[in-house]
Amino acid sequence: MRGSSSSSRGAYGRDAHELACLPRLGHDRAAVNLWPADLLFGATAAVYLAACTLFVAFLAGKGEGAARWAPRLVAVGVPLHAAQIVVSSMVLHVCPVEGIHFALSVASMLAAGAYVAARSRFRIDVVGAFVAPLALTFLLASRFVGVGPGDAPRLRSAILPFHVIANLLGVALFTLAFAAAVAYLVQEKRLKQKKLSGVFERMPALDALDRAEHRFLVAGFPLLTIGILTGTLWAREVETGGGAWIARAAFSYASWGLFGLVLLLRAAAGWRGRRAAYGTIAGFGFTVIVLLLYLARDAAGGGTVAMGGP
Amino acid sequence: MILVVGLSHRTAPVDVRERLTAGSEALPAVLARLSARNELAEVMFLSTCNRAEVVAHAPDAHVEAAVRAIREELASHGGLAQDSELAPFLYDKRGDDAVTHVFRVAASLDSMVLGEPQILGQVKDAYDAAVAAGALKGMLGRCISRAFAVAKRVRTETAIGAGSVSIASVAVDLARHIFGELDDHAVLLLGAGEMAEAAARSLSKGARAVRICNRSFERAAFLASAMRASAVPWAELEREMVQADVVVASTASREPVVTRDMVKRAMKARKGRTLFFVDIAVPRNVEPAVHGIDNVYVFNVDDLEQQVARGLEARRAELAAAEKIVADEVTQFLSWTRGLEVQPTVVAMRAKARAVLIGELERSLAGRLRHLGQAERDALTQMLDAALGKLLHAPTTRLKARAAEGDDAGELAAAMRFLFDLPEIHADRAQADDGDRAGAKGEASEDDEDERLPN
Repeated sequence: MRGSSSSSRGAYGRDAHELACLPRLGHDRAAVNLWPADLLFGATAAVYLAACTLFVAFLAGKGEGAARWAPRLVAVGVPLHAAQIVVSSMVLHVCPVEGIHFALSVASMLAAGAYVAARSRFRIDVVGAFVAPLALTFLLASRFVGVGPGDAPRLRSAILPFHVIANLLGVALFTLAFAAAVAYLVQEKRLKQKKLSGVFERMPALDALDRAEHRFLVAGFPLLTIGILTGTLWAREVETGGGAWIARAAFSYASWGLFGLVLLLRAAAGWRGRRAAYGTIAGFGFTVIVLLLYLARDAAGGGTVAMGGP
Repeated sequence: MILVVGLSHRTAPVDVRERLTAGSEALPAVLARLSARNELAEVMFLSTCNRAEVVAHAPDAHVEAAVRAIREELASHGGLAQDSELAPFLYDKRGDDAVTHVFRVAASLDSMVLGEPQILGQVKDAYDAAVAAGALKGMLGRCISRAFAVAKRVRTETAIGAGSVSIASVAVDLARHIFGELDDHAVLLLGAGEMAEAAARSLSKGARAVRICNRSFERAAFLASAMRASAVPWAELEREMVQADVVVASTASREPVVTRDMVKRAMKARKGRTLFFVDIAVPRNVEPAVHGIDNVYVFNVDDLEQQVARGLEARRAELAAAEKIVADEVTQFLSWTRGLEVQPTVVAMRAKARAVLIGELERSLAGRLRHLGQAERDALTQMLDAALGKLLHAPTTRLKARAAEGDDAGELAAAMRFLFDLPEIHADRAQADDGDRAGAKGEASEDDEDERLPN
């Protein structure tokens, strides 16, 4: 089954999961009733798609109504997305974080949830223009892109749940920090160039974006630290290794170091604004590389455990 | 007929306008004098720094006399010679033009700064004063109330009020785009000139602290006392820049007073916190290179004026849509008023027809039908009323419709009066005007008329 990556494409990576999981759990494929999960999937995708459309309309300057309703639609999408994840995992008897695609769907749902919770407080509604397409993409990916095979029993460990959850939450918060940093740079550039029309008028205040980016980093950094520590411990425990593992570990440590440096320099040397935004984007870039390495591993059929390793 | 007689920034210089303004204390006396003129049925006096106008309602037959009366009162109020000093600047608008003018003024389409919001409040103040003085009773009251609704429509359905159109409002807008809410920021004023004061007043609303730094400490202290701010010595300038978030510079210095090195040192001490310079001095007070420092933004008077021009251009682009709303509303209002003009004919026609029918019925009830009981008598009365309503429905609605369409309904009304032997036309008009004044309208159709004028 490990070499069956070409046959692992299908709904929810269904073929792969059913091949990998259902026999293991003793379920008959024919007995699996998927319509509640399908219904929730459709509803969530429709709501996210509507939110994306409204965000695009808002950024294109097509009315205040879009600005009001787009974040609300994301708020509607988050519980639907959560329900879709729970129902899908129950129906398929798969852990929601098993397989990197499903895990990314969870992370994007968490990012959307954090956005909904923080948007009024930080006044960063426009960050939803990044979060909504992201959530939609990973929702679709969880269904239509194949996932790697299930985890090997030898790699299971008590540390693993902490590692995965910390990493997912961390990724969610860094995603928001990244979105705020990009929005900051756009806004800052227009201000420096004194181009004050168009998208500038619809973006949040510069300081609000900088503050939000910093707070998302502050919240995400301890989670990433836990993820790194538990990943290192887990790797030692199961004695995993190899070139791919080392590459993932190296980029994980690099992102941790960069985020730490951004926070340290901000506190000690007043590195805020543009410099902090570039640091955040670079750190998130390393995080994305780690995720891409997991995707490449799954695509190659050499999977172990979702987000296993630092 | 509704009339407007007055002057504005378009027709009169400020030294004439200021002679005719009336503050809230003087307004009741002015209104009392205007109301006392027999030529005017209703009156309102709108006085702002850019206009002084009397809006009145007068019987059609007395329009010329009403205009003369208003001119006399304005000349008397301003202490100006009517023919030589006042007449060249005055305009008068009548009927449709007057209604259009009132709606345009309330919607801020006739303001010096297109779309500025203050004018609506000023019209409301004028309306309240006129109501308090008992000078608004019917037609004009409805016209002004309608003007408020028109202004609201224009503001919500167009972007006539969007964008910033003054240096101070652009500076505030920019500060909001940088800092978000301005309630926890500190403002530093460099120089104590009038321009800086105006910008700083807008920027300092709710500010954590406002400090004024001027080469003349006495002048700084004087301005500080007027602005609930604190004065600081000129030597403290660099140290103050560490504390401030917004710096408004307007000194008369020929050389920049804020240099790049100075700001770099300040930014180090500020740990990179954002600093926003509003440089409204000419020559500039802040070195242009300061704008290149991270987290520092400098906007000079040219930058701000470009924004002002952009805001005004955007508002002008909305003018056509706003004018269309005004035109629609004027049409509706005039339909309503024209309907009102034929009202006395309708009322008289119905009253006469009913009197004839009820007279005949009473004669019968006293003669051949005297055996009928009270219930049967009531039923007969109701039957006659119903028949009367049905019979007169078509002529009533057609007459009103013709009037509302703006066609000459007078001939039709005259024909009806001739056919039904009703009172003459001048009596009708007078009755309509008196009816307005006394608030008395046709019994049956008052609700109908109100429905036709959307609220």
